[in-house]
Amino acid sequence: MSQPLHKDYAGAKLGMWLFLFTELILFGGLFLLYAIYLARYPQEFTAGGRELNVLFGTANTVILLTSSLLAAMAVTAIQRDDRRTAQVLLWGTVLCASVFMVNKYLEWTAKIGHGIYPNSPRLAAGPPGESVFFSLYYLTTGLHGLHVLIGATLLTCVAARVKRGSVHAGDYVLLENGALYWHLVDLIWIFIFPLYYLIL
Amino acid sequence: MNPELLTTTQQAVDPVFMFIFGACLVLLVGITAAMVWFVVRYHRSRAPEPTSQAEGNLWLEIVWTVLPTVLVLAMFYYGWAGYLALRNVPRGALEVTATARTWSWSFTYANGMTSPRLFVPVGKPVLVNLVSLDVLHGFYLPAFRVKRDAVPGMKNHAWFVAPKAGSYDLFCSSYCGVGHSAMITTVEALPEAEFAAWLQQGRSGEHPGKKLLEKHGCLVCHSLDGSRKIGPTFKGLFGSRVRVLVEGTLITVTADEAYLKESIIKPAVKVVEGFPPIMPVVPDLKDEEIEALVEFIEGVK
Amino acid sequence: MSPAEQPHMATSSFWNDTGRTGIAAWIFSTDHKRIGLLYFYSVLGFFLTGVVLGLLLRIELMAPGRTIMGPQSYNALFTVHGVVMIFLFIIPGFPGAFGNLIMPIQIGSRDVSFPRLNLFSWWLYIIGAVIILTSLFTGGGTPDTGWTFYVPFSARTGTNVSLAVFGVFIIGFSSILTGVNFVTTIHRLRAPGMTWGRLPLFVWSLYATAWVQILATPILGITLVLIFAERVLGTGLFDPGRGGDPLMFQHLFWIYSHPAVYIMILPAMGVISEIIPVFSRKPVFGYKMIAFSSLAIAAAGSLVWGHHMYTSGMSDTAILVFSFLTFVVAIPSAIKVFNWVSTLYKGSISLEAPMLFALSFILLFSIGGLTGLILGAAATDIHVHDTHFVVGHFHYTIFGGAGFAFFAAMHYWLPKFYGRRYAEKPAIVAWGLMFVGFNITYFSMMVLGMKGMPRRYYDYLPEFAPLNLVSTIGSWLLAAGLVLLLVNLFRGLFRGAPFEGNPWRGASLEWTVPTPPPTENFAEEPVVTHGPYDFKGIGIP
Ligand code: HEA
Ligand code: HEA
Ligand code: HEC
Ligand code: CUA
Ligand SMILES: [Cu+2]
Repeated sequence: MSQPLHKDYAGAKLGMWLFLFTELILFGGLFLLYAIYLARYPQEFTAGGRELNVLFGTANTVILLTSSLLAAMAVTAIQRDDRRTAQVLLWGTVLCASVFMVNKYLEWTAKIGHGIYPNSPRLAAGPPGESVFFSLYYLTTGLHGLHVLIGATLLTCVAARVKRGSVHAGDYVLLENGALYWHLVDLIWIFIFPLYYLIL
Repeated sequence: MNPELLTTTQQAVDPVFMFIFGACLVLLVGITAAMVWFVVRYHRSRAPEPTSQAEGNLWLEIVWTVLPTVLVLAMFYYGWAGYLALRNVPRGALEVTATARTWSWSFTYANGMTSPRLFVPVGKPVLVNLVSLDVLHGFYLPAFRVKRDAVPGMKNHAWFVAPKAGSYDLFCSSYCGVGHSAMITTVEALPEAEFAAWLQQGRSGEHPGKKLLEKHGCLVCHSLDGSRKIGPTFKGLFGSRVRVLVEGTLITVTADEAYLKESIIKPAVKVVEGFPPIMPVVPDLKDEEIEALVEFIEGVK
Repeated sequence: MSPAEQPHMATSSFWNDTGRTGIAAWIFSTDHKRIGLLYFYSVLGFFLTGVVLGLLLRIELMAPGRTIMGPQSYNALFTVHGVVMIFLFIIPGFPGAFGNLIMPIQIGSRDVSFPRLNLFSWWLYIIGAVIILTSLFTGGGTPDTGWTFYVPFSARTGTNVSLAVFGVFIIGFSSILTGVNFVTTIHRLRAPGMTWGRLPLFVWSLYATAWVQILATPILGITLVLIFAERVLGTGLFDPGRGGDPLMFQHLFWIYSHPAVYIMILPAMGVISEIIPVFSRKPVFGYKMIAFSSLAIAAAGSLVWGHHMYTSGMSDTAILVFSFLTFVVAIPSAIKVFNWVSTLYKGSISLEAPMLFALSFILLFSIGGLTGLILGAAATDIHVHDTHFVVGHFHYTIFGGAGFAFFAAMHYWLPKFYGRRYAEKPAIVAWGLMFVGFNITYFSMMVLGMKGMPRRYYDYLPEFAPLNLVSTIGSWLLAAGLVLLLVNLFRGLFRGAPFEGNPWRGASLEWTVPTPPPTENFAEEPVVTHGPYDFKGIGIP
């Protein structure tokens, strides 16, 4: 009914950037807590960091970086109006996402197997800082995982629309914004990885 | 405002109130007067046409940016100075520990004496260390303009001086649940000598169970005179038949010693009909203490 | 509100020109005016709910001891009252209702940048509201934490807090999307000639508000997630027993909730900056300063949250800084007040209902704000913190400020969308009743606070009894006034005298479109040639 007649790309982009900004702040809250509790329990945090499996972490980092690359390539592809490649690349991204999630699943089950999960007897027995560290770990990675799922779903829809042709060289702002969102998901992980796995 | 020269906390705070209230009153009256005057003078009936199209005036803007700034900075400084006075405790203050729990206060003195009311000597600064056993509570003495939260797992303190003998209200200012507004007691300011005497002999005349009831705040929820509070009364409880819920099923039991003991140690097991299962368990209760409690409750006829 | 009841309105308007009528054409409409009205009626509904709860609170406090309810119900009641008023009424109220109705027209646009997102925001708001309402009647019973959800209590209480915070979380999401939408709209969809310097001050204030919504609300989001996790997963991040720190929660909560108070007041200030010049027939005084001070408030306001925590045990240095910044934010508000008052000078003032509400806004907000200075000073706040003085303060700012501005906006703008107007005399009587009742109700609360009556007290000592009775009686006057106001306004909108053209001679764009406006507002894109308060410019003598 009352859509603005012309499509306003700059507007759509601006809106997306603002939204990504709010997502960053959302995680910002958790990083804030991390910083403060790190200052309070430095050794418990380092100890906790060592508990985490750097291999999984690194693997997932590589996977996400690749997926981001693919997403970016999908954008350039669509600009060249090469919808087939764009689709393939998008599916590639989604594949990376699912691999990432599988890794996360394995990693978490392993941890829970070792009796490390919020409110677990083991953590309750351990030093206070330890339980704080792992609670933060689960919350942050959990929330990030949720964003991975959302991003993947989004990109799937975009891929479908590319297939249908409603996203094409003439009008690909949807794909661009989808890719932007995916870069955000990637970016946040780039913060999480060193903070939790490599404990600086 | 050199805190050393202060004798009471009121003297640190009240002048700040006077100053800020005064300044605000002047501003408010001024603004209102101007507003009313303009409305009357330039009402359409008197001024059918606007007689000015002024869109602003740089100098005015500067004036009413700078003046308020100066004013609020004065308020800020004065308020901060007063706050500092509330913070640094005079040397040689009498130290008392206030323990807050839902929903009662208990005050412990250096010599181990405990009391549900805060007895203090007149004219001597008192340092109160605040401890909370469960949720946030607030230690609030309106008469002395003193307030500080009791935060679980955190060291907080407040200090005050009672200028003259008498009884002053002590409120819990920080919301803590059903009994929040019932979590009130008093500061009892006694002349030095009387206080010393009180601190020594305490109220040794009393049954130890009674003291424990007060110490652990039982009397916040339980009355001794038959009146219904948050929990059932203790009056005539012993030997009476009580309808209780055990895992949701109603049964009738006789309130014998065993029952009383259980109700104190594991209140959640048998929950009296018509009451919420909110009775807190008091940790670290020694057996003889429980004995004493039960013995006393039995005595409440 | 169907156009059928608007006979003289046969001319096409957003009520009927799309041919789409009936409920579905409203709840699925993407027209900013229809969405605006959806918001308006939803927030009004919640306002009335909250207000009745407020009335009940007063009745309970009428006399010491149990009056009409027990402590548990009282605690639940002020919690729901606070949550409804803050999250369901005043925060979505201005941007959602009047922002949507007016802003696009004032900037000369057909609609907002993302009309579908706009509709989605409303749906999120309704869903969140429904979840909150469900939480009142299910689970362990109505939440009893106070609207501040302080831990450890909120993590322990058996009541249905988890569901409630989830509802609030969704509302927050809706608020964020509205913010994103408005910032984009104001950047992208201004008509030719609508320079930033010609933006009506209401739009400026919405712009500042939108930024606060974008920057602050995510923190609320994560805070609520954390309570939820604390309760459901037992993460223990705020549990001292496991190394957590309850104060961290208070910081996170206020990092949002102080800026939130500016979400409530900034648009209200915008409304006042629209009404005062129009009813004085004189350009607003100090346009630039008023516009700028809105941004200043938004910016500085995000750095003062600690003033809610002076007694919490936060470090003294922190208190020094927060107290200082608190006084700094007061200055832009001062600037606004002085400019509004100067606008009256040498004008030609007519005291119609919107103007009366606007003028009383200045007084009431000033009282609220000045008492804010008492609270901002460390020494004095220690005494009045968590007493009814604070309750008085924020009712003066929220209800006397934002609330009265909302009533002003209702009388000023709604006739434009209905083509009919309220009757003047009853409106003025209603205003009088509310103004008097308001001051009786809340001034007594401030005195009570000074005397030391803590807030959230179900029962109180006898020495507080007289003033509590006075306050309660005042709330009945207030109630009477509000009922009269609503009855008169809505009778007018549906049955009242026709409202056409530009009776108040406003110079901003909403007065140039037909009454009621057609769906896309402007037949062809307007070209703006004069400022929003240039009454000469539109040839008004
Ligand atoms: C619309 C909402 C709103 C607004 C606009 C404000 C505005 C202000 N508020 Fe308020 N406030 C609340 C809503 C609001 N507040 C709420 C809801 C709470 C309680 C939360 C809870 O605990 O439940 C609260 C609590 C609160 C506290 C914590 C009290 C406590 O719990 O101990 C403090 C402390 O500093 C404070 C300060 C201020 C200040 C300095 C302003 C300033 O912005 C005011 C600026 C305005 C003026 C100064 C008046 C106008 C100017 C003049 C008349 C000219 C002359 C002025 C000068 C010379 C400076 N507020
Ligand atoms: C927008 C914000 C807003 C508004 C408008 C109000 C309005 C009112 N509030 Fe307030 N209030 C808050 C926000 C608000 N409140 C908040 C945030 C708190 C803190 C909660 C907490 O501590 O967590 C609070 C707390 C609070 C308390 C303190 C509770 C305590 O600490 O113990 C009290 C006590 O009197 C109170 C009373 C009132 C009254 C009498 C009104 C009056 O406005 C009501 C006047 C009555 C009417 C105007 C009713 C007339 C209308 C009708 C009768 C409708 C007719 C019915 C239909 C048509 C359906 N409120
Ligand atoms: C938070 C309020 C509260 C406090 C504090 C409290 N109780 Fe209770 N108590 C209750 C409630 C409510 C009940 C009834 C429900 C139940 O049985 O759990 C109860 C029940 C009891 C009963 C059984 C009474 C009966 O009628 O069968 C006894 C005995 C008792 N409490 C003793 C104590 C003692 C001793 C203390 C202090 C060490 C104490 N209570 C502290 C709330 C409280
Ligand atoms: Cu203890 Cu309120
Ligand atoms: Cu604040």
